[in-house]
Amino acid sequence: MSQIIVITSGKGGVGKTTTTANIGVGLAMRGNKVALIDTDTGLRNLDLLLGLENRILYDLVDVTSGRVQYKKALVRHKKYENLYLLPTSQIKDKSAVNPEQLVKLCEEMKKEFDFIIIDCPAGIEQGFKTAIAAADTAIVVTMPEISAVRDADKIIGELGRADKENVKLIVNRIRPQMVEKGDMLDMGDIDEILSVACIGQIPDDEKVVVATNRGEPAITMSDSVAGQAYKNIVARLCGENVPFLKPQKEGFFARLKKLFGLL
Amino acid sequence: MGDIVTIKGLKYGLQLTFAKGASFDDVQANLLDKLQSGNGFFIRGTTVFVPKGYFAEEQNEALRKMFHRHGMLFSTELKRPNLAPPSRDTSTKASKAKAPVEEAQKMMVINHTIRGGQEIKANCSVLICGNVNPGAQVIAGGSIDIRGTCRGFVHAGAFGDKSACVVADRLMPAQIRIADLVARAPDEEFKASQAERAMIKDNQIIFEPVAR
Ligand SMILES: Nc1ncnc2c1ncn2[C@@H]1O[C@H](COP(=O)(O)OP(=O)(O)OP(=O)(O)O)[C@@H](O)[C@H]1O
Ligand SMILES: [Mg+2]
Repeated sequence: MSQIIVITSGKGGVGKTTTTANIGVGLAMRGNKVALIDTDTGLRNLDLLLGLENRILYDLVDVTSGRVQYKKALVRHKKYENLYLLPTSQIKDKSAVNPEQLVKLCEEMKKEFDFIIIDCPAGIEQGFKTAIAAADTAIVVTMPEISAVRDADKIIGELGRADKENVKLIVNRIRPQMVEKGDMLDMGDIDEILSVACIGQIPDDEKVVVATNRGEPAITMSDSVAGQAYKNIVARLCGENVPFLKPQKEGFFARLKKLFGLL
Repeated sequence: MGDIVTIKGLKYGLQLTFAKGASFDDVQANLLDKLQSGNGFFIRGTTVFVPKGYFAEEQNEALRKMFHRHGMLFSTELKRPNLAPPSRDTSTKASKAKAPVEEAQKMMVINHTIRGGQEIKANCSVLICGNVNPGAQVIAGGSIDIRGTCRGFVHAGAFGDKSACVVADRLMPAQIRIADLVARAPDEEFKASQAERAMIKDNQIIFEPVAR
């Protein structure tokens, strides 16, 4: 049974593309056949994170407009042979692909792949509607700050309206010191407002930036805490029951533990 | 003397019967007493039935108001109350022009969290089993009862009913309006730690703790 997952957020720059790349690589490393679809038409950068920019021949718009078969547009990852990218156009805009086209494409790709992961653009306009159309699971990425959590809340409402009931949450770029000082929302606050199942808490980690520049997601680096958090997310997506990362700061983690005891 | 009013549990609510010879004032006082003592029978959202024709219309009206204030429905018809379907589409339209009296006495029940950007509008009272999140709006002709945390914008008594109130497990709205009065959240952050009711007293919105 293949799964179609959309990674979305509302607010821009919270880590959707980073999450797509990491989860994609993680699932492929476990032997799944994975396709990543970039729907951020006009601002594509999933290919950069995977180090695949120079291999792109065709893009999503070529496929949905019927110019080429999707298989021709897929770019195979150089290291993880089960991982494929369907890049999008850098030139066209979000109106170039509509929801029906993406649904049809995913139906077809489902026959070949265990996981299809869709990287969604920021915002709640047409690009968002297209990106979520085909998905059966939505992962909402947010950060521990008010504006990002509010946008995530709005997105969860929109997903509900689109009848997407299977919604999961990832909180990215957590800085335990700041949470402890009360300068950042803690998991309790976030959970109370959003009240959807959290499948990951990713620390803020400069290795993520190093990884981006190398075209190798952090999940491949053994010394990255964010990479470890992504590994746990992948395991949870595969149905394993993984405890949340041990906190480095007492107070923060005590609270986390309390929270997760409930989940 | 606990038998001025007898309460019997029914499938859809509570049936009230009254001791022979008890006056309306006795009954009302007795009920109020029970309501305020947090008698386990009177759970919010329950419908209370009084036999049709037992009391005069105005008296029923007074009872209705009293139960409403405590978050309950009142009826003289022994039947299942009409609850709004727990729909996801939250834009239940209310026309501001006419606010029929009967409307304000019904209650809409919403069984999910109202998220930022969503809006609930109702001529009647509203019971929300969930949170009202920042950026969400609830506007009701009657009272608003939130079984959860209220961080959004709430307006009770939107047609001018000054007896309307807002109750929440944690009441920390950005702004609260009752009839034509406005109160806003303090600029410093605060965390409500117990259920509270906001209502109008001396032409001002006041907050008081409630037990639930
Ligand atoms: N856990 C993290 N620690 C440190 N930096 C991070 C982390 N997650 C993401 N970043 C950085 O944040 C920036 C934005 O990330 P990303 O591009 O994945 O966000 P996005 O949600 O896809 O943005 P957009 O809305 O523009 O598509 C990037 O520079 C990325 O390297
Ligand atoms: Mg992106």
